[in-house]
Amino acid sequence: MMSKISYLIVEKSYVIRSGLTQILTSFPETGNIEEIDDIISFSEKFSEKKPDVVIINAKLIEKNPEVIFEIRKKNVALKLVVFVGTRRADDDFPAFDLKISVDEAKNTIIEKLQNLMSEIIPAEKDEISDELSDREKEVVKQIALGKTNKEIGEILFISPHTVITHRKNITRKLGIKTVSGLTAFAVLNNLIKIDEAL
Amino acid sequence: MLITKDLKLAEVILRNYHLIPIVSRFGIQFGFGDKSVAQICEQYNINPVFFLEIVNAFNDKDYLPYEKLKKIPLSQTVNYLLKSHHYYNKVKLPDIENLIGRLEWEGEDADRNKNVLQKFFGRYLKEVKEHTANEEKEIYPYVLELEKNYNSEKPSSTFIENLTKKSIKDYADTHDELNAALLDLKNIIIKYLQPAKNSEVTKQILTETFKLDEDMKDHTKLEDNVIVPVAVMMETELKKRS
Repeated sequence: MMSKISYLIVEKSYVIRSGLTQILTSFPETGNIEEIDDIISFSEKFSEKKPDVVIINAKLIEKNPEVIFEIRKKNVALKLVVFVGTRRADDDFPAFDLKISVDEAKNTIIEKLQNLMSEIIPAEKDEISDELSDREKEVVKQIALGKTNKEIGEILFISPHTVITHRKNITRKLGIKTVSGLTAFAVLNNLIKIDEAL
Repeated sequence: MLITKDLKLAEVILRNYHLIPIVSRFGIQFGFGDKSVAQICEQYNINPVFFLEIVNAFNDKDYLPYEKLKKIPLSQTVNYLLKSHHYYNKVKLPDIENLIGRLEWEGEDADRNKNVLQKFFGRYLKEVKEHTANEEKEIYPYVLELEKNYNSEKPSSTFIENLTKKSIKDYADTHDELNAALLDLKNIIIKYLQPAKNSEVTKQILTETFKLDEDMKDHTKLEDNVIVPVAVMMETELKKRS
């Protein structure tokens, strides 16, 4: 499973925080979401949670924008999103990666956030393919034939520990966990014939 | 929405059709007009507090009725769990099994596809049967016996002696394997099965699997959050009393 994106929302209004949280929760990539309602606890919360994305209301940083500049300097990979009300919709916020406004339609906000997420995740996505490797296919085949981890290790000249690692990766990739499920997968993908199956 | 005793049961079902199997499990038949929850409970001799806790728990996943349910006799919860077993084994699982039997494919892999699914589901059916049978033969009777002794002025001394040897905690078994099998079934159908000629049946199987999964998870929650903690409390109390 690819790692999830964590968020910190800094916003005074409960209704707006809940709205943002609801949108974020609808993305499968979303992990932990923290909400705080003032800027005072921001630095502390930030170092505690180390979020990938911070969404902050423009009003809360009017008085001391340094907080943001400082965080920006120290965390290059961090994505900063500014949330603005109607009157500031045209302002520029150079320290931020993205601006979303209270007036925007739901789909606009979702698209903007999805683009932002794809900047965070793509590198990982290429690395972790959901396609089984040849070795993993071989392990699935042996499981379907009813072999134990120890036996599989002996047949494939790997340690039982490595077999377990393969099994974990197989389950992560396929979404299939039980031996019966893996057996069904093996038959459907012609790794074994049905009359060979356990 | 919180379901209360004064609401019309018709209104409740119209708002959330997921409650259809739950209501049926209490033996309630449709055609009940504008009767309120309280009136229907009276008619069917159902404890209204218990009924409301169960439907509210199914209606709203965040609703946590356990504290109230813990105060209701375990025999009622056990009785409800038995009815759920009946529903799984005699109604829902045979339904899905029949649907799998109706799937059809073109081409040479047709038989293989059906065999694979039937074999997988057959094994799952067997596991569910064994699991529910064990609960019905061992766990539920023990819980009822425990409650009887707990409520009795003179609890059986042999029963109390045996408490040192066994506990409900030994029974606190894993439903994980059963849950995992249903998730596997969903993944196999969604991701890896060749499209069937009659794809409506495929969709029905999937929908029914999702519903069954949800129902079973609520079932497990009742066992883990009501039966087990209350039984543990009764065991501890009984041991202290002796």
